[in-house]
Amino acid sequence: MALIELTEVTKRYRVGEQEIAALDGVNLSIEAGEYAAIIGPSGSGKSTLMHLLGCLDTPTSGRLMIDGIDASRAGGDRLSELRNAKIGFVFQSFNLLPKFNVLQNVELPMIYAGLRAADRKSRALAAIERVGLSNRVKNTPLQLSGGQMQRVAIARALVNDPRIIFADEPTGNLDSTTGESILALFQELSAQGRTIVLVTHDQEIAARTPRRIEMRDGKIVADVRTAAAAESRNPNIEIRNESE
Amino acid sequence: MKLWLSLLMGLKEIGAHKFRSILTMLGIILGVASLLTTFALTAGIAHGMRDFMTQIGGIEKIEITKQDPPEEQSGFADISPGSTVADAEIIQRRSPLVNYVSPVSSLSNAALTRGSQTYRATVYGCWPDFYYINKHELEVGRRLSQLDLDEARHVCLIGQSVVRSLWPGRKSADVLGQSMLINGRPFTVVGVFKLYERASEKARRAQGIVRPGGGNLSAGRSKNYDPFFGKNASVQTPITTMFYDYKSANVVGKVDQGPNYKLDQLIFQLSDAARFHEAVEQTRALLNVTHRGIEDFAFVTREEWFDSMERSIRSTRISGGLIACISLIVGGIGITNIMLASVTERIREIGVRRAIGAKGRDIFLQIIVESSVIGLGGGVLGLGGAFGLLRLLAKITEGENTPLVEPGAILISVGFAIFIGIVSGFYPALKASRLDPIEALRYG
Repeated sequence: MALIELTEVTKRYRVGEQEIAALDGVNLSIEAGEYAAIIGPSGSGKSTLMHLLGCLDTPTSGRLMIDGIDASRAGGDRLSELRNAKIGFVFQSFNLLPKFNVLQNVELPMIYAGLRAADRKSRALAAIERVGLSNRVKNTPLQLSGGQMQRVAIARALVNDPRIIFADEPTGNLDSTTGESILALFQELSAQGRTIVLVTHDQEIAARTPRRIEMRDGKIVADVRTAAAAESRNPNIEIRNESE
Repeated sequence: MKLWLSLLMGLKEIGAHKFRSILTMLGIILGVASLLTTFALTAGIAHGMRDFMTQIGGIEKIEITKQDPPEEQSGFADISPGSTVADAEIIQRRSPLVNYVSPVSSLSNAALTRGSQTYRATVYGCWPDFYYINKHELEVGRRLSQLDLDEARHVCLIGQSVVRSLWPGRKSADVLGQSMLINGRPFTVVGVFKLYERASEKARRAQGIVRPGGGNLSAGRSKNYDPFFGKNASVQTPITTMFYDYKSANVVGKVDQGPNYKLDQLIFQLSDAARFHEAVEQTRALLNVTHRGIEDFAFVTREEWFDSMERSIRSTRISGGLIACISLIVGGIGITNIMLASVTERIREIGVRRAIGAKGRDIFLQIIVESSVIGLGGGVLGLGGAFGLLRLLAKITEGENTPLVEPGAILISVGFAIFIGIVSGFYPALKASRLDPIEALRYG
């Protein structure tokens, strides 16, 4: 079974009198270890899709399985647990807590996981080392550059050893050089077997991922794998057949 | 999430906004300070009053006085011998609920003379028990004895007012064994009472402050009413001596009416104040025998008086406490206000926390802990404020009852502050915990 499986997922919002379908019957599956980009113009439903995949929201109808758990019917607390244990988020605007230093920021997910202080510290330090910021442990986010902040955010996303990492426009607030290094970091993580899903509207970035999922008007209009990806993994169609 | 971590986070948040937090706490600080001060002041007053009540005999002292018999008995009221020593004797023998009993025959406005010094006071002819019932304490000498009574000796116990008037500048010990005249007849002083005074007077004297007019021994009807004036002016002598020397003849209009051995007063003390009514009924039954069924006596108890004192203390405490509570509640509203602002300020932070796995109740706990810490901090600082305020008050209103800080009052005040903190954090916490994670992440 795939790590993430969406079956006929629909998400509707009510805006005043109108009902808008942000997602309209989406079928998608992502295997463990994949590095995919969801791409589309604003209003295409890519953010909604990411919120669903990230267990921040539940679909109006359809089924959403994450690591074998049905997230489409889960309650708020269950979703929180799923987010905590299985998912790491990286945001466009970093979203670090400004009053906490780097170490404390990275420790935060483990606090909610209920880990002991000693374990938290050692794991946080390991994650910080992984993103190359060991010399910045006691700094607060305001003392860091944008690229460093994003690295801290990635460390925070990694620290609970999640099954999937979601990155929402991770380079959107960074200059191209820094953005490049962040993407390189994602590349490395992917090479180590992490499942990473990027959300972006930047074709160039999407072009560098092995898989591109293109959205428009709440539907997936294209799901393309590069040759390299196709070689190592089953084509998309086949996965779909498997799930049906 | 563990409570301890929430507490640390709350402290961190408060520490990050020190000035704002102090301002928020101010309402609680003032509330707790005024609540505790009110409690301390009323406790001081209550303590002073109870002290005074005990000094004048306490609730367990009961007095029997004369009363006109009811109308249906007026025709044959003469069969009653009236109040006599026999009443005291029967109570002493037959009433197990009575500790001490003393008949009293007094000589009011008697002239106490030594040389050229004269002092006018009431002389009480009594039994030795009188000393215990009225809670006297000797400074030097001895109490009256049964032998004094049996032999009708000319001995007396005197209070400090008498000492200072007749033996000015002399110590109590010097007065022992000296004689003085009571309405012209010589008596030997065998005991001198200690000086009775309020706690505040004692404190003042200890500090060496002497009020003009000689402290509480100044005239009883002066501006500074002294509840112990009568007690300090007390003169006690055996009731037998009183009868033989002063009550054996009763000259009215140049005709001797014969001896007057009726009592002016009959006082007794209960062994157990809890069995107050039982004791009164028991004594009433005994006196009905000696008075041959004529109800020409009445009980004067302090029950109602003491009750009304307690009531007034209680109402002072409640009204003061209520006002202080209102300021605490206002302080709580301040906390709610600030916490709401703080939640709005941190919507994005809350979104991030939710995204990385915080549950609604984790966020709720975080906000509640923060507001309770503000409440607790305000309570503790208010405690300090209260002690400062009490020192100030003690300086300003010297001579009043010293404020008394009871541990229970501290517990109530600080506990209430924490309670207010929790209650006022409730709504902001609920609001924060119900934020939609997605919208919170998008906010700002």
